[in-house]
Amino acid sequence: MSSPRNFVRILAIVVAGLLVTAISSAQTIKIPPHEKIVLKNGLTVLLMEKHGVPIVSFAALVKSGAAADPAGQEGLASQTAELLRKGTQKRTAQQFAADLDFIGGSFEAGAGADFTTVSAEFLTKDLAKGLDLFADALLHPTFPADEVDKSLAQNLDAVRGSKDEARQVLRLYYYGYLYGGRGYGRPEDGDEISLKKINRESVVKFYEVNYAPGNTILAVAGEFNTSELRKRLEDTLGSWPAKSVTPETVPAIAAAKGKRLLMVDKPDATQTYFAIGNVETAAGDPDRVAIRVVNTIFGGRFTSMLNEALRVESGLTYGASAAFDARKQPGPFGIYTFTKNDSTVQAIDMTLEVLHKLHKDGITAEQLASAKSYIKGQFPPSIETSRELAQRIAGDEFYGLDDSEVNQLEARIDAVTLDVARQVIQKHFPEENLVFVLVGKASAIAPAVKKYADKQDTRAIAAPGFWQAADGKK
Amino acid sequence: MAAALLLCATGLVSPLVRAQEQKFPVATKTLKNGMKVLVQSDHSIPNVALYIFYRVGSRNERPGTTGLSHFFEHMMFNGAKKYGPGDLDKVMEAHGGSNNAYTSQDVTVYQDWFPRSTMPLIFDIEADRIENLSFDPAKIKSEREVVASERRLSVDNENGGVLNEQLWATAFIAHTYQWPVVGWMSDIEHWTMEDLKHHFAMGYSPSNATMVVVGDVSSEEVFQLCEKFIEPIPAHAPPPPVTTVEPEQLGERRLVVHKEAQLPLLMIAYHVPQTKNEDFYALNILRTVLFEGESSRMYQRLVDKEQIALEVSSELPPAFDPTLAVVIAQPKQGVDPQKCEKAIYEELERAKSAAITDQELEKAKNIRLMEFYQQMRTINGRANTIGTYEVFFGDYNKLFDAAKNYGAVSKEDVQRVAKMYFGANNRTVATLLPENDGQAKQ
Repeated sequence: MSSPRNFVRILAIVVAGLLVTAISSAQTIKIPPHEKIVLKNGLTVLLMEKHGVPIVSFAALVKSGAAADPAGQEGLASQTAELLRKGTQKRTAQQFAADLDFIGGSFEAGAGADFTTVSAEFLTKDLAKGLDLFADALLHPTFPADEVDKSLAQNLDAVRGSKDEARQVLRLYYYGYLYGGRGYGRPEDGDEISLKKINRESVVKFYEVNYAPGNTILAVAGEFNTSELRKRLEDTLGSWPAKSVTPETVPAIAAAKGKRLLMVDKPDATQTYFAIGNVETAAGDPDRVAIRVVNTIFGGRFTSMLNEALRVESGLTYGASAAFDARKQPGPFGIYTFTKNDSTVQAIDMTLEVLHKLHKDGITAEQLASAKSYIKGQFPPSIETSRELAQRIAGDEFYGLDDSEVNQLEARIDAVTLDVARQVIQKHFPEENLVFVLVGKASAIAPAVKKYADKQDTRAIAAPGFWQAADGKK
Repeated sequence: MAAALLLCATGLVSPLVRAQEQKFPVATKTLKNGMKVLVQSDHSIPNVALYIFYRVGSRNERPGTTGLSHFFEHMMFNGAKKYGPGDLDKVMEAHGGSNNAYTSQDVTVYQDWFPRSTMPLIFDIEADRIENLSFDPAKIKSEREVVASERRLSVDNENGGVLNEQLWATAFIAHTYQWPVVGWMSDIEHWTMEDLKHHFAMGYSPSNATMVVVGDVSSEEVFQLCEKFIEPIPAHAPPPPVTTVEPEQLGERRLVVHKEAQLPLLMIAYHVPQTKNEDFYALNILRTVLFEGESSRMYQRLVDKEQIALEVSSELPPAFDPTLAVVIAQPKQGVDPQKCEKAIYEELERAKSAAITDQELEKAKNIRLMEFYQQMRTINGRANTIGTYEVFFGDYNKLFDAAKNYGAVSKEDVQRVAKMYFGANNRTVATLLPENDGQAKQ
């Protein structure tokens, strides 16, 4: 039972694509050496041998994610991933769990919009057993009918349960409303309606269409012998039959025009949780480092303009932040915070004032220098463990980025001038066109927030789903 | 030891032996003012994690000022003599550093993460606030609102937060673990400047603190900085001892929270000894067998076979005084929490009536071993773990004995602690029941 001073980026989301980085000014940080191999069946393998801790970390990215979910079956990619360990040709779900736990291993699988991630960790001494488990789940799942039903029922309840906490579901409502229920606006883990439309047949089909060596990137990092592991991988994953897959990508959706607002009514809420923003940048955007620098100043750290105004100066909230969730296609930008019911308008007004100030006054040379130093200083711990390194090199490979993301980062940060920052603010920080999503007690706040947008929508939090496209299409 | 021999016999290098070999050298020094400093050099990244543990938390509070330790922790960022309001964060971030802090029932912990070149500045900042914290009435006012917002976030708007608070308040009738770390809302609204000053004087003597520094540093340079910045700060009396001993619980206690919710929630708490007690290791092995991983007995029973719960887990916080082991079950929608309760009791009875298997014991030890490496693989994890062992076990060396101590736990020990602590008279049962009966409005 402990109470932290601040949750780091409390409402921010995992910035999946914007794997932006920096390096210490005192010592140049380099990504540890690693090698890339393509197996005969087309599987891309990245190996990073790094000694010191006797753990081996696996991260496989299957280049099909929630984007490949059929319309109305949101959550299918995610379900498929979760079910990989729930019965294989060699093991029942119970046997898999017993074998995995016995060696203290971990195995996780889930889908984001752009790709599915299957990751695992084992002690080096258990590498052979661990790899056997990992390959078994990835290559030979059988999707037993009772396990599919069980998992679907659990996930349905998990969605319901998540709605008890406004903070947990704000992002889903925001993304849904922002994208009109299409593209990145479809819930990756599904909702109360879509999960009921998924069955064993759709899971098996999703697996058969999307899971293939040519559609997968596998990164392994940690304490192992490269040539030995390479041989082991050829013996196990090398047997995965090749097949051709055309991964489905999310459609590019343009930024919203004008202003619109969704009020999600949670009658027992004592605070309003809100998001404000628009569709913004994609992973690999040439401006990505400059965006990171400017957003650090605007909403990416404790002394950011947003947190200074809404928390430090006024005590309106426990935390305010802004984040770019860059992805294959233009992803969401959002400002996230919360405040007690009767200061909702004050907090939204103040948020908009801070955004306006960014546009009107720009940033100072002092702020710029501080943000550069902050990003560089905080970067090294983000690639400290084999787990982080495996995820990082696999993600960079997926987004078509290379080692210069780390190795050139210091130079790229240094290249951000006040002039570049000004251009980035104009180009990437929306001000006129904004989408608002509020989760809170509508009876207390709805009339007062009408002033923010001409177009308004409301829904009850208990109503199934988050925000669906009116025509039911992707 | 038995496990180490067993694994050696299979022809593998014993991981337990290896864990003990991986004894990260820790340099220690006790400053003249009583603060103990522990340093562990690691040059794998050019960064440093610095933790200061103060042995003061909500257990040192009184009715009327509950949550004061946590509020005080917030005030430690709001200005001192050299670094005024807002300066601490601004200066630290401008030099590539970041910080956070947390408060528990027993301790208040300050954390700094920074590139190595920033270390002298960090010491200057830490010394300034330990010695010369200022109490600006305007900052107190706005920070009070921040903490109120934090409470709404973590308690009011989170079912687990509400139920957990009620659980501890019911399980303890005498000891100060009975109130929430964040404090009751009415106390948050009513602290005075005098309360804050008193808390500072009570809890923040250097002699009441332990500093841990891990990363790209040498112990010599850390000790030099300590001598310059920290050692001159005078020591004063430590917090008065918490003398209240929770009387033995003589029968089951039950409470219900009615709240608008989609799903019910169940928590069952049992009084167990403090961290330093020798049963700590056996209790953790029991928890591992019952709750950790999808092969655990509770997961298999409640989530997998009977499908009455979405999740089932347990918690055992580090504690100076006898505390609670808490079982948390998330029943599925429409499932009567008592159904989960019954299944949990039956599994506990099974652990009492027969010893766990050899396989389960070995599995639990392997899981603990993996956990050891996962905690120790980052400079941050190591600073936190070294400090936690030093403060709660009384000696950081216990960290390196953990594998040995887990290895020494027998099946009989596990059965004994199951019988000793998990009885009906020793439990408090908290249930959250959805007011709308879990029916989603269409």
